[in-house]
Amino acid sequence: MRTTVIVTALGPDSHGLLAQVATTIAEQNANVDDVSQTVANGMFTMIMFVSFDQGETTIAELKDALEVTGDRIGLQISVQHENIFKFMHRV
Amino acid sequence: MVFITAQEILETVSMIRSENLDVRAVTMGISLVDCAAGEPRRTAERIHAKIVRRAGRLVEVAAELQEKYGVPIVNRRVSVTPIAGVVGSDDPEAYLEVAHALDAAADEVGIDFLGGFSALVQKGFTRSDTALIEAIPDAIGSTNRVCSSVNVASTRAGINMDAVLRMADVLLAVSKRTAEHDSIGCAKIVIFCNAPEDNPFMAGAMHGSGEAECSINVAISGPGVVRNVVAANPDASFIELADLIKRTTFKITRVGELIAQEASQLLGAELGIIDLSLAPTPAVGDSIAEILESMGLEAVGAPGTTAALAMLNDAVKKGGTMATSSTGGLSGAFIPVSEDGAMARAAAEGNLSIEKLEAMTAVCSLGLDMIVVPGDTSRDALAGTIADVMAIGMINSKTTGARLIPAAGKQVGEWVTLGGLFGEGPVMKVSTAGNSAFVRRGGRIPAPLQSLTN
Repeated sequence: MRTTVIVTALGPDSHGLLAQVATTIAEQNANVDDVSQTVANGMFTMIMFVSFDQGETTIAELKDALEVTGDRIGLQISVQHENIFKFMHRV
Repeated sequence: MVFITAQEILETVSMIRSENLDVRAVTMGISLVDCAAGEPRRTAERIHAKIVRRAGRLVEVAAELQEKYGVPIVNRRVSVTPIAGVVGSDDPEAYLEVAHALDAAADEVGIDFLGGFSALVQKGFTRSDTALIEAIPDAIGSTNRVCSSVNVASTRAGINMDAVLRMADVLLAVSKRTAEHDSIGCAKIVIFCNAPEDNPFMAGAMHGSGEAECSINVAISGPGVVRNVVAANPDASFIELADLIKRTTFKITRVGELIAQEASQLLGAELGIIDLSLAPTPAVGDSIAEILESMGLEAVGAPGTTAALAMLNDAVKKGGTMATSSTGGLSGAFIPVSEDGAMARAAAEGNLSIEKLEAMTAVCSLGLDMIVVPGDTSRDALAGTIADVMAIGMINSKTTGARLIPAAGKQVGEWVTLGGLFGEGPVMKVSTAGNSAFVRRGGRIPAPLQSLTN
C-alpha cells in the first residue's frame, strides 16, 4: 500500500535547501510527487507531497532523517500523513 | 480526490507547531459489568485482567497516531463502569481492594489516569454506594492513577443533600490524607450534577451503563489556536468573532474526529464521542482566560466575563458540531483555575472570585473546577458551595461539577503548586457566613419543574 505524506519545511533562506531536503527523501526510497516552494522576506517555505511503499520506509524513519537534515540546514521540517490535511478543513 | 491548498497545509502546521494544538485525551471506556464475581478479590482480579486485555495497546496506538499525523496526544486514559455497581459489597475494604487493582492495571498499561471509582447517588444510596464513598479517602490516598467521581444531583432527581454533606466530609478527609502534597488527592475527585456517561476528561470520566462494551472517546483541545484567532481580529464585531471561532473549532474538532475514527478501528472498539471542550493547560498560550482577555477584557473576572464566556462556549459548540456527528462528554469550555495560568493569575490579583466563577459556570462547563480553598474551610461551607454548583446544573439541565481542594494548612492568598497539568493557584476565599441550618436539613432538594418534560 502506498502512503502519501506532506512534508513542510520553513526557515531562513539559503542556497540548495530544496535539493538537500529532496536528497534526504530520495535516500529514504521515497518519491516527491509534487512540490511548491516560495521565498518571501528571506523566509523559505516549501510543501512537498511525498509517497512511498510500505517496506521502503516509514513515516517515523522519514521524519527522523529529515529532522537531521533540518537541523543541519536550519529548517523546521514536519512530516504528516496527508489525511490530517484532507480531514481538517472539510467534512 | 480532496484538494488541499498550500494555505490550509501551512495553517495546520502552524496550529500544531506554534499554537499548542493537540488532542487532549484519548480515553478508552471499558465495561466492567461482566467482572462482577461476588467475592471481592475475584472481582478485583477480573477487573485487572479485563482492563489489561482491552487497553493493552492503547498507549502504543496513541503513539502511532501521534507519529502519523504529527499531532501530540497528551493523555491516554481509561474510564470504567462506575465501580459501586460492579463490586456489589457493603464493605469499604472490598472497594479499596478494587481501587488497588484499578491502579495496578493503569500502571501496567501505561496510562496516566483511570476514572470510574464512582457512584451515582442523586436519588439515594445503595449499600454499595455508601461503602464506595466511605472508601474514597483511602482509595485516593493509596493509589496514583485512580480518579473518583460521585453524581449527587440531576435535573430528574434533584439534589441529594445527604450526599453533598458526605462528599464534603470526603474532601476534608482526602485533604488531610494528602496534606504533605498540598492536598492534591482532592484534584482527583469530582462531585457532579447530571454527570455524562461518556466523558473522556479526568477526574470525572466514567463508562456509564448505556455505553458499549468498549469505546474510544476523544477530548479535543486548542485554546491557543482560538486565542490567536481572537487576538488577530481586535476590531471584529461579535458576529464576526463568533464566525471566526466557529471556523477554528471546526478544524480542531476534525482532528479529534480523525484520531477517534482511527483509534477505535485500530483498537477494535466502538467510536464513542468527540468532546468539544476547550481545555486549558498551565502552559502560556493554552488558556481559556487568555481567550476572554483577547476579546477585550483586561483580566478574566472583569464585568462582561460571563457574556464573553457564553459567546465563546456557544461558538465552540456550533463549530464543533458541524465537524462530527458524535458529540458528547462535557462539550463546553473549561474554567479550571489552577490548570489555567491566566485564570490563576486573575484570582491571585483579586479580579476573579468564587462567586464570579459560579456565575461563569452557568454558561459553560464544568463548574467550580480546580479551586484551592483554605484547609480549614468548614464541612458546611464546602457543602453549601457544592450545593450551589449542583443547583445551577439541576435548573439549567446541564452538567456541573465541583472539584474543590481544601489545601491543608493553607490560608487565603497563599500560593499552592499542585504540579503537572494540575497547575498552581492561589487559595481563594470562601464566604464564612453561616449556612449549617440550611445544609443540614437532610434529604433531597426536590427535582425542579424542568424534570417534567414528558
